[in-house]
Amino acid sequence: MSILIDEKTRVMVQGITGRMGAVQTMHMLKAGTKITAGVTPGRGGSRVEGVPVYDSAEEAMAEQEINTSVLFVPGPVCEESCAEAIDAGLKLIILITEHIPTHDTMRIRAYVRSHGATLIGPTTPGVITPGKCRIGIMPTSLFTPGPVGIITRSGTMSYEIAGLLTTEGLGQTTMVGMGGDPVVGTSLIELLDLFNQDPETKVVVVHGEIGGTQEERAAVFIRQKMTKPVIAYMTGKVALEGSRMGHAGAVFVRQRGAMENKIKAFREAGVPIADTPSEIAGLVRSALKG
Amino acid sequence: MILYESEAKRFFKEQGIPSPPGEVAKTSQEAAEVARKMGKPMNIKPQILVLPGGRAGDFQTAATPEEADRAAKNFLKKTLNGQQVTEVLVEEKLPVQKEVHVAIRVDGAAGAPLIMASLDPLSDLDEEAKASGKVAWRHADPFRGLQSYEARKMAKGLGFTGDAAVKLADQIQRLYKTYSQWNALAAGFNPLVMTPEGNFFAAGAFLEIDDSALFRFPQLRELSLSRILDPLAREGKTIGVTYVGLDGDIGVICTGAGIGMATVDLISKRGRPANFLETGGGITEKQMADVMRLVLKKPGLKGVFLNMYGGINPIHEGAKGVVKVIREDRVSIPVVAKAIGNFQEETWKILEEGGVTVIKTIPTDQAVDELFKRLKK
Repeated sequence: MSILIDEKTRVMVQGITGRMGAVQTMHMLKAGTKITAGVTPGRGGSRVEGVPVYDSAEEAMAEQEINTSVLFVPGPVCEESCAEAIDAGLKLIILITEHIPTHDTMRIRAYVRSHGATLIGPTTPGVITPGKCRIGIMPTSLFTPGPVGIITRSGTMSYEIAGLLTTEGLGQTTMVGMGGDPVVGTSLIELLDLFNQDPETKVVVVHGEIGGTQEERAAVFIRQKMTKPVIAYMTGKVALEGSRMGHAGAVFVRQRGAMENKIKAFREAGVPIADTPSEIAGLVRSALKG
Repeated sequence: MILYESEAKRFFKEQGIPSPPGEVAKTSQEAAEVARKMGKPMNIKPQILVLPGGRAGDFQTAATPEEADRAAKNFLKKTLNGQQVTEVLVEEKLPVQKEVHVAIRVDGAAGAPLIMASLDPLSDLDEEAKASGKVAWRHADPFRGLQSYEARKMAKGLGFTGDAAVKLADQIQRLYKTYSQWNALAAGFNPLVMTPEGNFFAAGAFLEIDDSALFRFPQLRELSLSRILDPLAREGKTIGVTYVGLDGDIGVICTGAGIGMATVDLISKRGRPANFLETGGGITEKQMADVMRLVLKKPGLKGVFLNMYGGINPIHEGAKGVVKVIREDRVSIPVVAKAIGNFQEETWKILEEGGVTVIKTIPTDQAVDELFKRLKK
């Protein structure tokens, strides 16, 4: 098992003819992902890595089996492209693009949710269920199948955590990049809940960072609802007040978004916090032993 | 991008939100002249960039042009929040019947704009503020925006009735329109004042525009660059990377924000990072060369640490830029790089041939340990 994506996932790539879309389509296919269509307006009828390209999501849906869309389109057109995917009937949208205006993201999120669909991202490395399906931009070689769920706010931290676990023989059910923006499609709590319901996931590693209140709210959920252990690693301890640390969402002003609140909340929820990346595998191993 | 109060007020005015009459002055003589022209008591406000929700700048009230001159002179030689004050806003001190503090920000949890209003200065809508009953608040629908009936309900929630409630609601709605029009992350009145005649003026104002939305406002491009006060951070912006100056002596270059934060956190356990720098996706040889030169500009560096992941980034291309700078600029301080992911072998080869100590294992804390060993030699 896994969450969000598996061997039954059939993917449409929006922005498939762009530089990033084409390269990542190649990497996704290599990892075993079943990509059935690509979309780039005006390029219908062509092929990228053997994948048929359509002018619109609707045309792609009419001819191919598709249940998930991944977007590599530029920031200014993301809102429209997400709406196009939703209107074509997609229920899972993975939005890789970074630097999307927050006002656009708020509308994208509202539109996706009002149609009963799920949005992952933006500013996400994507989602990978190792050995079955890779949707996004992550280096496939760092991941391997196993019992650990991973949720991160950063692409590079997801690689570090998965790579460390893989080296230690601890594989993953699914890794989800939640996204580094102030507004994301699916919250930490919602992702924890999915892992909670997945019988194969035995422990979840969460990478949190400064900014927002996702970790604080998730701590309450962990205390009340989570039936499996959660391990955390936190970044942004050295950040300066008001400085955005690369991610649009990684900023604190006075108490709002500050690291100490997050650490306190996780501690109160009994979540072990790794002090260094090297400690993560050990904490996961003890959690698995129960 | 944070605006000066005087700029925020100009943006507000375009949406029909009046401010107290006044002008910006660059010298104390100018300030006195504005006060003389107006012939009324004035507030003298130093113009510095303040984080929304951060502490607002101090101000002084001047009853006469002489007092305005003195107050301005005093502010113009000051450094506030680490910023040299170069301008003061000289504004009429209006008679105040009531003050209302209003703030709009993005609520990540709700995925929607959050509008808060209070008769007291606002800090944030924490549980304490909600329980106090003193803060009127609501979320706006990201598509419909803030409707006037919703704004009127907020005004009534603060105890305003009749004409005053309608007028206050109108100003809150105009603030929302400004927030929406400029793709703001935060907008507010600190405070909005009601005069005895029942008119409202934005006596204090703040506005922060989303950097990711600046492509929609080409007229703000130059201004947004000038708002980055640290010259190295400004240069980073023009290269297309995020640079945050810290006070140490170990240069840091990372290919992602998460690993960048982890790296400065871990270096700080044993030493002091000179900066945080993350490239984001899509690095090139040229960009990494620019990034190396940028980080090396900080005086007194003892070493440079790179943490690179080949996911979306072609790190072998980036590596060429790094070694090019080491060679051309004769970099003599140790450069240590951890490089993992797609094209790692190629990357290692390029870096090693260029004189870089390469770490080929994943944990950043162990890579940092290697850096410190190298620095000791």
